[in-house]
Amino acid sequence: MALNGDDNDFFDWEPPTEAEMKVIQARKERQDKISKLMGGYLLKGYRMLGDCCDVCGTILLQDKQQKLYCVSCQELDSDVDKDNPALNAQAALSQVRERQLAAQAAAPPALPPAPAPELNEGPSTSQASVLVPQPRPEHCEGAAAGGRALLPLPAVPSPTTPAPTPALVPPRAPVSPQSPVIPPLLQEAEEAVLIKLRWATSQLQSSASLETSIQLCSLIASCANSLRSLKELSQ
Amino acid sequence: MGITALQQTTEEASSLGYGGSVPVGLMVAEMPPVECLHLDHVVQTVCALESVVLRSFGPEGGQVLFTRDTGQAMLSRSGARILTALRLEHPLARMVVECVLKHSSVTGDGSKTFILLLASLLRMIHKMACKEPNVSHTYTSRQTAEASTARHLADKILAFALEELDNLIAMGVIPYGCCLSWEDFTAKKHLSGPSNNDCVQKLLKSFFHSRLGRSHCDFISKLTCELLTHWKFKRDQPSLSLEFVNDNLDALHTPVSGFPISCSRLIEGQVIHRDFATPCPQTEQKAVKAAVFSGYLQPKLLNAGQVLQLGCGEQWMEENSKNNRSIVQFSAWTERSLECVFANLQSLGVSVILSAVKQSAAVLSLAAQAEMCVVECVSEDELSLFAQLSGATPVSDCWMVEPEHVATLTFCRPILLGAHRYVHVAFNDSEERVTVKPCSLVICGLGEGQTDQYTCAFRDAIRMLLSTWEPMGMTATTASKRTLQSTKSTSSHVDQIPNVPPFQQCGLQPGYVIPAGGTFEFLLHHALLQNGTSCSASDDIVTSGLAVSQLLANALLIVPRQIYSHSPRHFLQAQARFQTIIQNHSHPFSLVYKQEHSSIFGESAFPLEEDKLTKHRFEADVSAKLFMSDSGLESVSCKYQLLLAVLQCLSSILHVDTVLHTHTALHTQSRRLANTSWEGTDDETED
Repeated sequence: MALNGDDNDFFDWEPPTEAEMKVIQARKERQDKISKLMGGYLLKGYRMLGDCCDVCGTILLQDKQQKLYCVSCQELDSDVDKDNPALNAQAALSQVRERQLAAQAAAPPALPPAPAPELNEGPSTSQASVLVPQPRPEHCEGAAAGGRALLPLPAVPSPTTPAPTPALVPPRAPVSPQSPVIPPLLQEAEEAVLIKLRWATSQLQSSASLETSIQLCSLIASCANSLRSLKELSQ
Repeated sequence: MGITALQQTTEEASSLGYGGSVPVGLMVAEMPPVECLHLDHVVQTVCALESVVLRSFGPEGGQVLFTRDTGQAMLSRSGARILTALRLEHPLARMVVECVLKHSSVTGDGSKTFILLLASLLRMIHKMACKEPNVSHTYTSRQTAEASTARHLADKILAFALEELDNLIAMGVIPYGCCLSWEDFTAKKHLSGPSNNDCVQKLLKSFFHSRLGRSHCDFISKLTCELLTHWKFKRDQPSLSLEFVNDNLDALHTPVSGFPISCSRLIEGQVIHRDFATPCPQTEQKAVKAAVFSGYLQPKLLNAGQVLQLGCGEQWMEENSKNNRSIVQFSAWTERSLECVFANLQSLGVSVILSAVKQSAAVLSLAAQAEMCVVECVSEDELSLFAQLSGATPVSDCWMVEPEHVATLTFCRPILLGAHRYVHVAFNDSEERVTVKPCSLVICGLGEGQTDQYTCAFRDAIRMLLSTWEPMGMTATTASKRTLQSTKSTSSHVDQIPNVPPFQQCGLQPGYVIPAGGTFEFLLHHALLQNGTSCSASDDIVTSGLAVSQLLANALLIVPRQIYSHSPRHFLQAQARFQTIIQNHSHPFSLVYKQEHSSIFGESAFPLEEDKLTKHRFEADVSAKLFMSDSGLESVSCKYQLLLAVLQCLSSILHVDTVLHTHTALHTQSRRLANTSWEGTDDETED
């Protein structure tokens, strides 16, 4: 029932692949969650407006204090960011696994799956060593390490060709992809905190006095807290 | 209007300090904001409404607690009430809620099921529209392609339903049902099989169960049955008496708050919801005569802004040389003429005056002197009911009171119901009137909100019964098909039923009920799938017809799925049970004949051949099993109307593709301003 199309496109249509089905399924679940949340808010007395959110297109709600509220932006994780490996560790991991599967024949026997990259860790070796080791750029730390290190690898074919939807395929071209959501200010703040963290760690290793150690430990803890809140801000 | 409204908007905007961001010159020339309605938005809106009503759906559903800022709280399960309480400014949501309310005002039930079916159909259409091969991968045209596919599908489903649905229901659902005939409503119980009186009460009981909860549904359904029995017009069609009750419901019930619901009862006669304006004399008389006045006894001549010119006759001028025409003398004259009216009334023996308007003080004092009681400001509905039941016409001209304006009552006395005193009248049995025993219902509830709920539930129950007995539509072709079938098989039986026209004999009589709990949906699902597969042609038109049947069939299953949502195992069990029952009946036409045969003749001693008798027993067993096992009944006609209403609503919301936000002079706020409070925007939707 192609109403607007010509016959060429009609015969070119293929059924959705497994990855596309996963995307469709995930989107359906997300929509169900949004509807459920919206229903709950309506029953709480929120007003359903006739407008849509600019960012995600969900219908806006307004509470009794006249504040606008978008269910998907403010409660659920964003649909797009979830799949962007530059921002999400899980997405990075899934992308790594997909590439591992692709390179299984040619690559060395699979290494144990990479642990979730921690914020305080130094340069993570497992992820980068699966494939051609890349010289680590100075600013690639933390969760973004895995994804970014793999980006400039065009030679590895992936078995599941994901459809060229903007949600799945990470931006391949630049090594330091700046997603539009994270302003560069947060990036700099992250780097500064990480540098301080590294300094504190090195100081801690070489310190002999109790007082200094305690203070360095508290410095490391507060660095970790600030990194966490920076991560939350950026999402 | 558009340009001036926009200018006002900008003035408001600038006055509130947002002027800096809004270039005034540009706003005037700009079009009002236009929003394109995508299929995703439609689905999202309706799914949000669905999640609101989902938790209260079904016999296991919960109640919604409504609270107000004043501290009032109320619990309700009624879908219409929940949906009206939501604050919705989205135009599509408002449109859907309006459709639901309109449907519910006709059938009295099914508002939650409406939303559920609508959401399920929309999701299926959305899925199907997204699967269609897309022209190009650019955003705009994909949306347009989806929207037009969806619209196309919705129109096809509606066309299919309008044409085929009643046949499918007649063949696939009605054979498993039971026809409630009104005449047997109050008759003695039939020994074999479920009696009809039981069935009507069961129908009401399952309705009240879903509306009011388990504890009181039995009691209220018995009370309603009693009321309907009293109001049965013996010689007329059943729907007439139901319609009568429905139209006069306001006059036939009295809500009383402060008592438990078990105090609800029936009162003989009519309760007029006003108190006596003059003290009611305690009369020992047997019969009381009453007159109804629709106007003023003492005409009001002086209203504000009017000028009264007094003149007098020559005779009077001669007698009174003083020649003063003052208003005092004029009003004295009117009072004297009033005395003549009262003398006339006394001669007719009238002791009660029912008036539609507030009478003047002179009338009241004269009435008190004459020992007549006056009831003022009686509502029109009650007066018309009174006139119908008593047979007396209201007096229009107080100078001409004739004996036919005088009604005879058995008694007329005050009655104390709750915190109010009302007037209680009872009518003499007169042969000219229809032989009904008028009675009035007193509905008690613990608080005002609860009493209101019970009253609404009662009103909706009457509407539901009314739509149960409404005949379902039928096309000419099916009628001829039916008569052919019936004349072939009922050769000797036709003369036994002289009054019933042949097509009615074939099971499309109104008043069919089936067991509740998703039975209708299961049976229709099966019938639709069978209908789809039976048209096995290979051209495009029929395959899309198959798709339509399948889509509708799958969408219908959401209702039983939600009813059994607390335990999916029961859903599967119910589905399996229906499959076996359906498969046990091979040929639908013979089933129709046999079922209606058994329901009409039932226990009569009609001679039957041996093999037919055993088949009868088998089918009676099956239907009896279905009735005994399930908890309640629901009306086939209501379900059919609900389905049609859902499909029509679906088709109309999918035809909307643009929303134009316009602002009238009252609502001068643009969409982005969040600080000022507002009543609501005026939205127009256009095709």
